[in-house]
Amino acid sequence: MNSLIIIVVALVVAVLGYRWYAGFVDKQIFESDPHRITPAKMYMDGVDFMPTPKNVLFGYQFKSIAGAGPVVGAIIALQWGWLPALLWLFLGVIFIGWVHDYVSGMVSLRCDGLSLGGLSHKLISPRARLILLSFVYFYLLLLAGAFGGVVAGALIKITSGPVAILVLAICGLLAGQMIYRWRVNILVMTLVCVVLAFLGIKLGEMLPADQLLGSIAQNKLTWGLFAVIFCYFSAVMPIWRFALPLNYVAFYIVMFGLLGGIIGIIVGLPPVQAPAYTQFFIGIGPLWPILFVTIACGACSGWHAMVTTSGTCRQLEKETDAKPVLAGSMLTEMVLGVVALMTAAAALPFDKYLEMVKPAGGGPGAVFANGLGNLLGIIGIPMTFGKTLAGVIIVVLSLTVMQLVLRFMKVATVELVGEYSPILRNNQVATFIAAVLVLFLIQTGWWQFLWILFGGANQLLASLALLVASLWLMSQGKKATFTLIPMWFMFITTIAALMYTSYNLLSKVFTGKIVAAAGQSQAEALIGNGLMGVVALFLVVAAIILFIDGMKALKRYRQQPGAGMVPEAK
Amino acid sequence: MTDEEKKGFLKAIKEFIYGMAAHDSARFALKTRASMEHLFILVTMGDMLGVPLLPPYYSLRLLPYVVPQISTWKRRMLREKDLTDALA
Repeated sequence: MNSLIIIVVALVVAVLGYRWYAGFVDKQIFESDPHRITPAKMYMDGVDFMPTPKNVLFGYQFKSIAGAGPVVGAIIALQWGWLPALLWLFLGVIFIGWVHDYVSGMVSLRCDGLSLGGLSHKLISPRARLILLSFVYFYLLLLAGAFGGVVAGALIKITSGPVAILVLAICGLLAGQMIYRWRVNILVMTLVCVVLAFLGIKLGEMLPADQLLGSIAQNKLTWGLFAVIFCYFSAVMPIWRFALPLNYVAFYIVMFGLLGGIIGIIVGLPPVQAPAYTQFFIGIGPLWPILFVTIACGACSGWHAMVTTSGTCRQLEKETDAKPVLAGSMLTEMVLGVVALMTAAAALPFDKYLEMVKPAGGGPGAVFANGLGNLLGIIGIPMTFGKTLAGVIIVVLSLTVMQLVLRFMKVATVELVGEYSPILRNNQVATFIAAVLVLFLIQTGWWQFLWILFGGANQLLASLALLVASLWLMSQGKKATFTLIPMWFMFITTIAALMYTSYNLLSKVFTGKIVAAAGQSQAEALIGNGLMGVVALFLVVAAIILFIDGMKALKRYRQQPGAGMVPEAK
Repeated sequence: MTDEEKKGFLKAIKEFIYGMAAHDSARFALKTRASMEHLFILVTMGDMLGVPLLPPYYSLRLLPYVVPQISTWKRRMLREKDLTDALA
């Protein structure tokens, strides 16, 4: 099978889903009306609530939801073969993914721009909001641990990456200084910083980390520490000084690499080298349910509901913009997931992929860097430069998420425990605690299991968002089958995945059959397995409590269909 | 494709790239400005909250600069907020 055909099929699936299913739900069920006033207009405050053109919002939403998630998930899932991953991407996005993003956004639009936390408080119970916060906290912690593992694995293998990343960080600082202090024209700033960042990639090739640092360049802890320190500064410095300008400069590098990869597929027409299907059981678990949490972004992701309700929905100018912005960006993300799948399935021999995706092989970061490097080679970009560029892309995408995590965890620590201990209200202390937790996870956890747990927390968030949307639809007397079926599917699958992973991890702890991953001691592996197993169990318990509250809410709304929001009885 | 359509298409591409690359930065700049405005309003109108930071003479002199901000400031202040708002 040719990789270009698969990408074209993905585009066709996205267009058909958008025109037919999304069109039907938008017109027939939500009856979106361009004249109905949106929260952006009703509550315009010039900051959060602000009418914004739909094309700007489409870009904003796409960038907010599509980071390293669709890339890493698809690459890990290739271990089952390309067909199961592709089918889940197609079916998941059509029947669950876009529905989830769109309905959570529309419900927020119709409820005065309430965020998912506020919606669960009002539609389910106050306890549901607390459970949501715990899902979010663990989701972010696990996400940072998993991405930290991806960064560490990639930087061990792509030795030209660290210097390039350092130069990019300096470019970020320079961009902030140029635009906010020196008031330089934005085009000049962009040109200077992007050119410098590309020169940094070249410099990285000339100064590989193993030559500069010797054997410590092969240590996971070195790069875990590097990632955490990088994100620590990003979280404590003013956001305009480092994090935002860095993301701005990195955007051009990422776009250049991804577009180059797509052109490489169009020009080179590489055939898919991976088998369509390998086996039901692989190292990380069985196809059902593990595949469905491994690929979250690209098929269905609860994170999107958070971003949509807290950010994008409050800027929608018209209700009819919700379909192109929310459904459109989710379907586009699926295409990105398919492209990422092809960088591993078509641009690398399958045995090489299997070698790389193992902990000792560098993980999905190394797979992506080598695959995209090969695709860029097709359009004439030197292979070593292409691999460094691709390595920088995956590391930067991961670090962007880790920065956000540390920033949010800092706020969450201050908000949740700040009143009990004044020292925790300190910016540096709160960030330090979050950074230590993340580093602990990177060092003790194995990123493949961390990824599954992160996927589990993410998909539980998705089922919560779908439940909230179903309850709202029932409260308005509308049909909710199209959200209830995906909700049940995601809930059951995720609970099964978490229970399987928890059993898998804890049974190894109690029977002493733990095998330490590369760069890990036996004690670290023991602590890591135990910790990850307990976190998985905690998520299952939280999900069961949510299930009980959800059932009560469903009963309440079934008894009084179309009666509006019915609060929980005291 | 007519000239109008071409212009519309190019505008859409431009807006899309702006949305991906810089809309975040613009929102954070607005948030920073809003927090400055909050401080300014607290300084000038603090006596209404029982925090007389400025003598009434200066408050009155500054009042015309504050008035245009009051309606949006009230919306920001009185809105129900959630911890998850910090994510966007």
